[in-house]
Amino acid sequence: MDPKTREDLLKLFQGKLNEAMTFYLETCTRCGVCIEACHVYASMGKVRYIAAYRQEIVRRIYKKYFKARGNVWPSVGDAKELNDMALEELYEAAYSCTGCRRCMVYCPFGIDTQMIMSIAKLLLVGAHSEPEILTLLADTSIEKGKSLDIFKESFLTGIKKLEKDVVKKWKMEAGGTPIPMDVQGADLLFVALAGAHSIIPTAAIFNAAGENWTLSFFEAVNFGAFVGDPGRTQLILDRIVKEAKRLKVKEVCICECGTAFRVMKQLAGKQPFKVSSVTEVHARYIKEGRIQLDRSLLNGVVTYHDPCQIARNGDVIDAPRYILKHLTNHFREMSPDPKYNWCCGGGGGLVALGEETLDFRMKSSKVKADQIKRTEATTVVTACENCHTQLCNLNDHYQMGVDVKFLSSMVADALVQK
Amino acid sequence: MSEEMKIAKVMDLKGLPCPMPILKVNKGIKEVEIGQVIEVWSTDPGSLSDFPSWARTRGHQILKTDQNGDVTRFYVQRIV
Repeated sequence: MDPKTREDLLKLFQGKLNEAMTFYLETCTRCGVCIEACHVYASMGKVRYIAAYRQEIVRRIYKKYFKARGNVWPSVGDAKELNDMALEELYEAAYSCTGCRRCMVYCPFGIDTQMIMSIAKLLLVGAHSEPEILTLLADTSIEKGKSLDIFKESFLTGIKKLEKDVVKKWKMEAGGTPIPMDVQGADLLFVALAGAHSIIPTAAIFNAAGENWTLSFFEAVNFGAFVGDPGRTQLILDRIVKEAKRLKVKEVCICECGTAFRVMKQLAGKQPFKVSSVTEVHARYIKEGRIQLDRSLLNGVVTYHDPCQIARNGDVIDAPRYILKHLTNHFREMSPDPKYNWCCGGGGGLVALGEETLDFRMKSSKVKADQIKRTEATTVVTACENCHTQLCNLNDHYQMGVDVKFLSSMVADALVQK
Repeated sequence: MSEEMKIAKVMDLKGLPCPMPILKVNKGIKEVEIGQVIEVWSTDPGSLSDFPSWARTRGHQILKTDQNGDVTRFYVQRIV
């Protein structure tokens, strides 16, 4: 690594050193409480997957360049030089961590490994050593925000084709628009994923509830957050914020995508609209009597996988359980409970990296598969695209023999037509 | 189409959800020579916005887009 690159990377590092980050980097006592907390370590038993070990890779660079003792006397405290080998270690640490923050709830000091890993990811971006796929997807999202007019008409045509499937799930009165787009003054802006499966069920539920809604032109997922690039994360987020302000909506509802929800909820800042997960909105419709569900459709035990970014990191825990109470009499919680739930193993961009990470994802998530098996459920429900993909992969790999379903699809299928 | 425009490679990406079509086409375009054209089939509605945006960021050109039922065909020329 040449001196100029190192200097640039250390400036990026410096920019991350706010009060909280400094506390995280200076506080670890190596008590070991986090050892068993990481699903990767619990499944694979390798020391490099212990949360404190991951942190230590970043911490040693911090000691070398930002602490006087580490600079003058590096052997004390194991201060470490930032070089090409260190970048490889940072990559291994950052892209084997899903950012689930389970270790954080066990840590007596609340040290946030995911935050520390955000330094690792930012240094990788600065060194152009991040996974190219994630940057490609982030750049594609950003470009959409810049050139909406170029694809607007063709996108509207594509959405129009989905409307017949929405009506199959919920019949509308003549003249109604099954998927409203670009509606000024709508109450709710729904930000979906690009796939039909993300749009159709929820569109039917909105129509059943009589919601005054409109569909976003942009997909919810934030690949900038996956790759750990604050600039790209903000640009992707800004597209949706601008659209919501332009349409003057009161609420932005994020589809079943954990990262999208957490980023919008926690990083959008103070806005003239509230941010909700689609699960919270569906629970609200049931409470208000705006939709009725048929509870007789599901047979067998049903369990729910809490997406880390929505439950542990987003505090949406009661809403999915409230919905499931209206869908089945045979709901069974996983153990440990939601706050300590095992991550599915697909977060942090790992699922988006596809086949490249499949072997690791399967090996590192054995504890998740075991946790599901212990419930003896025949249906596993979740509310996150990444989790759904990962759980389907686990189902195949560990031959669990369960149905993996999206909560929103189950609600749409159980709608009782008045 | 193939007679008017020489197609170097056809990619059938029907049924793949976002972001797989973009990932596949990004890989596939690297397997043809600069100047050559690939024909890509997708049923993902997001591709209608993803493909033009991807092409702009990576410097490639979408020569034509055909929609036939649920299938969209993109004709993409490798520029760089």
